[in-house]
Amino acid sequence: MTALITQAVILGILLGGLYALLAAGLTLYFGVMRVVMIAHSAFLILAAYLAWAFNRATGIDPLFSLVATVPLFFLLGVVMQRFLLSRLKPATLTMMSVLLTFAIALIIEGMLGFVWTGTQRRISLSYSTASLEVFGANIAVVKLVAFGLAAVSLLALYLLMKATSFGQALRATIQHKEAAALLGIDTEKVAGYGFGLGLATAAIGGTALALDSTIYPSLHWHWIGPLMAIIVVGGLGSIPGAAIAALVLGLSQSLLQIPLGTTWAQTVFYLALFITLMVRPQGFFGGRLAQRF
Amino acid sequence: MKHSTRRSVPMSVDQAGGTSATVSRPARRRAALAVAAAGALTLSACGLGGGGGSSAEGEEGEGDEGPVTIGISLPLTGDFSEPGKGVQRGYEAWAEYTNANGGLLGRDVELIIYDDQSNADRVASDYEKLINQDQVDIVVGPFSTRLVVPAAQVAQDYGFLFVEPAGAAEEVFTQGFDNLFYAAPAIANDHYNYLAEHILAMPEGERPTTAAYASMDDPFAQGTAYGLKEKLEEGGIETVADEVYPPNTTDFSSIANKIANTDADILVGGTQYQDAVNLIVALQQLDYQPRLAAFSTAPTNPEFPEAIGQTEGILSPTGYTPDADYESNAQFVDFYTEQHGNPPNEDEANAWTTMQVVAAAAEANDCADPSPECQQSMIDWLRENTVDTVVGPLSWDAEGRPQAAHLVQQWQDGEIKIVLPEDASDAELSYPKQDW
Repeated sequence: MTALITQAVILGILLGGLYALLAAGLTLYFGVMRVVMIAHSAFLILAAYLAWAFNRATGIDPLFSLVATVPLFFLLGVVMQRFLLSRLKPATLTMMSVLLTFAIALIIEGMLGFVWTGTQRRISLSYSTASLEVFGANIAVVKLVAFGLAAVSLLALYLLMKATSFGQALRATIQHKEAAALLGIDTEKVAGYGFGLGLATAAIGGTALALDSTIYPSLHWHWIGPLMAIIVVGGLGSIPGAAIAALVLGLSQSLLQIPLGTTWAQTVFYLALFITLMVRPQGFFGGRLAQRF
Repeated sequence: MKHSTRRSVPMSVDQAGGTSATVSRPARRRAALAVAAAGALTLSACGLGGGGGSSAEGEEGEGDEGPVTIGISLPLTGDFSEPGKGVQRGYEAWAEYTNANGGLLGRDVELIIYDDQSNADRVASDYEKLINQDQVDIVVGPFSTRLVVPAAQVAQDYGFLFVEPAGAAEEVFTQGFDNLFYAAPAIANDHYNYLAEHILAMPEGERPTTAAYASMDDPFAQGTAYGLKEKLEEGGIETVADEVYPPNTTDFSSIANKIANTDADILVGGTQYQDAVNLIVALQQLDYQPRLAAFSTAPTNPEFPEAIGQTEGILSPTGYTPDADYESNAQFVDFYTEQHGNPPNEDEANAWTTMQVVAAAAEANDCADPSPECQQSMIDWLRENTVDTVVGPLSWDAEGRPQAAHLVQQWQDGEIKIVLPEDASDAELSYPKQDW
């Protein structure tokens, strides 16, 4: 029994780390632009496919695909913000962004199916089944790599937000766009970069995801629900909040699985979402942002 | 060729009107008739080319009635598009083969195929349209339990015979249909019958004592695993884990953790594809080594060996193998391979089998028209008779369940080999399974 629980705790933490990475971009878009980005998980799957295709074509470790996908996704994000999302009317932005990004998700899904067919793919890695033994529990190397990617990129994102002038401008835009503009911040430009940054995390998240799961074009629908729940529980717009919520929910899911089974353990996300909306609609860890809606 | 992925993406969103595939070859038919008359063409016993005989007599009579139209709705887009297209290839190959070999009852065969977009509402209206508007002579089934049930209901309402290639779950046979016949060797719950017998026949000391089950919450996948579970439990093999997960499960490490913790001798997966792969990799990461592992569907997928690395010893039931030496199978495999450049898979074979069953019923009753008398006589005939098909001789119980079992395959030396039943096997079942 102890072995079962120790293993479940370790798996839960590793899973939570991955959730945190996958959700980081989602909370950033909302923070910066009040955009609900349904296509975030579609971009995750797109990045996963790019990593798979890169590995298949070159035989090099898929992690190296990040060299190309991170800048590419950043640019894509800036372009998407500038030419699509910033054209939406501010009054209906949040609502319309759902529609717009839903369409983008469908386009990405259709394109993936068109180019690589609906066949389910998996990157074959020499270390995909390797694991380290710690206190009698097994830690899979691929999960550890994914966790490491999450930790490094979230830390980098945190430092960027806290320690650079761009980060300050970004946070100012998140906190109060008009005031930030009055202080001379080009909020449009900052929002564009913020969006690009969010999409860049999707490139990293998608690659981490591809290391240890089978991918197919419609997979993103299975991810968007839990990720949305995480950012609401964590407080919309707060990256540390999303990270903490992701870890807590990942761990609870993994532990609840033991007595309840998979089907019910999955509901932890939605249960947490309902409780948050009833008790603390602005989220448990985030700032006051959501209160204004 | 991409095959047997059970989830896939809609590639083209709308084919509103459906597509009508006509496979009509008058010129080749005449040539074929000449050959038939000359007696140079050996007719297969199962009624495949069976039209040849009657077509010679019916050249003036029945030949004037125009083609036999067969109506089908298939999931060509949406969730089941990959297997749906496989079934389409099987149907079309049969129609071409039949037309090149004298037709059905001496008449050409024409297929009308609609795309139901994997949608259960749409499939019902497609069959309404086929029967009322297109006035087809015969209807045959779509792919998968979810679509077969509503389609069979429409056919039942109009008194049509309904032979279907892919609705293996128990719920297909408990709806009270008296017109339905499943054209494959066995329903989901019977897929592992040979394996259950084999395990229970092992000598006491060698026989595994515990089993873990993991199954997708899906009538077909669960049916296969639970069919085996029931039989093993009866035989005294203890169930130590029984996990059911929804189709949208993305993380299998927790399920793997529970299973690994029991260290069960036998692992049974009621799986489709990605779930099996993710589960196996998660189990490998936890270093769990079962002595026997069986999964439905996934192990025959061409992507499977690369995805999990070590496949040695993994078992899987199958309803079809191109190597089977049933009489009509060789003709089917040759014809199909020549057309497509690769041998047929289970989906194509089930479609071909469906058509063989319908053709046999039509031949036996010398009719292929929508009249209630003709349809009922075909239904009654199939209840009483055995039909030789590419998957072996088939007969049915009163609800349409086929009365045979699936072959059991095992990965050995990097190849899939039939290991059970012994009289049809290429190799002996290897037990215990090599570590993965």
